[in-house]
Amino acid sequence: MKRMVILAGVCLALVVHAAAWAQTRPDFSGTWKFNQAKSSPNIAGNTPIVPFPSQLVVKQTPTELQVDGTSVRQQPTSAVFKLDGSKVTIKAPSGITETGEAKLEGANLVITSRRSFTSPLGETIVDFKEIWTLNGNALTIEKTRTESGDSATEKAVFDRM
Amino acid sequence: MRLLFAAFSVAVLVGMAIPVQAHHSFSAVYDGNKPVTLRGKVSKLGWSNPHAHIYVDVVNQKGETVTWEVESASATNLLRAGIRKEDFIGTEVIVKGFLAKDGTPTVNASSFTLVELKKEYTSDEAAPGAR
Repeated sequence: MKRMVILAGVCLALVVHAAAWAQTRPDFSGTWKFNQAKSSPNIAGNTPIVPFPSQLVVKQTPTELQVDGTSVRQQPTSAVFKLDGSKVTIKAPSGITETGEAKLEGANLVITSRRSFTSPLGETIVDFKEIWTLNGNALTIEKTRTESGDSATEKAVFDRM
Repeated sequence: MRLLFAAFSVAVLVGMAIPVQAHHSFSAVYDGNKPVTLRGKVSKLGWSNPHAHIYVDVVNQKGETVTWEVESASATNLLRAGIRKEDFIGTEVIVKGFLAKDGTPTVNASSFTLVELKKEYTSDEAAPGAR
């Protein structure tokens, strides 16, 4: 009888833990469309301070996050991140090498990436950090671009389609 | 008379072609996936519409000085923002922009800062949607 009670207790603890984990673990899956009115003014148009895609298609599993970004007049980007934070190669346009990592930090998803390409400056390296936050049917991405010791941060809001 | 007419026609056609070449689509010339930041001294200025062109001497990783052509907003827009032609000459500038697709030292500026004057200009070009 005592064993049964202990076993039931352990099972209950596991169920409660799993439920709590599921509640705190956000799911970013979906198709997200850029909302210019709710976003920083400096990110629209041809020459944004920090570039964002026009649309994101996100597929999330317990271990992976696939992010496909499309933009007006630009080549699409695609990445499959491991949610344990390990480094992956991001599919980038020709002439660009990009790697990145993604990790869930509480209710947020943090993606860091490093893009490199050759320019008349030499080897050019641009670092990006994105913090994703879900708020109902809105996805907010705060993105920082850092390059040559100089950085800029902008915020974009995407609506679920 | 016929020769004069032909010369006039050629002059008109050339005149029409210049503004078409000057006002091109961003995506035809620049790569939105290649952001760059430049820091250097302004060596020359093309104060014009529809785009002002700022020529900036930048030292690259090999220690060589390379003159970059920076395409910015129109002279009219810069004036509206309180930036004058005289502000540029010999001044240090920080430019954030996007590299030309052909790999030449050419950028389209998102923003620039005139360091000594502490004046900053950010492109406010609006378009339906992000990049």
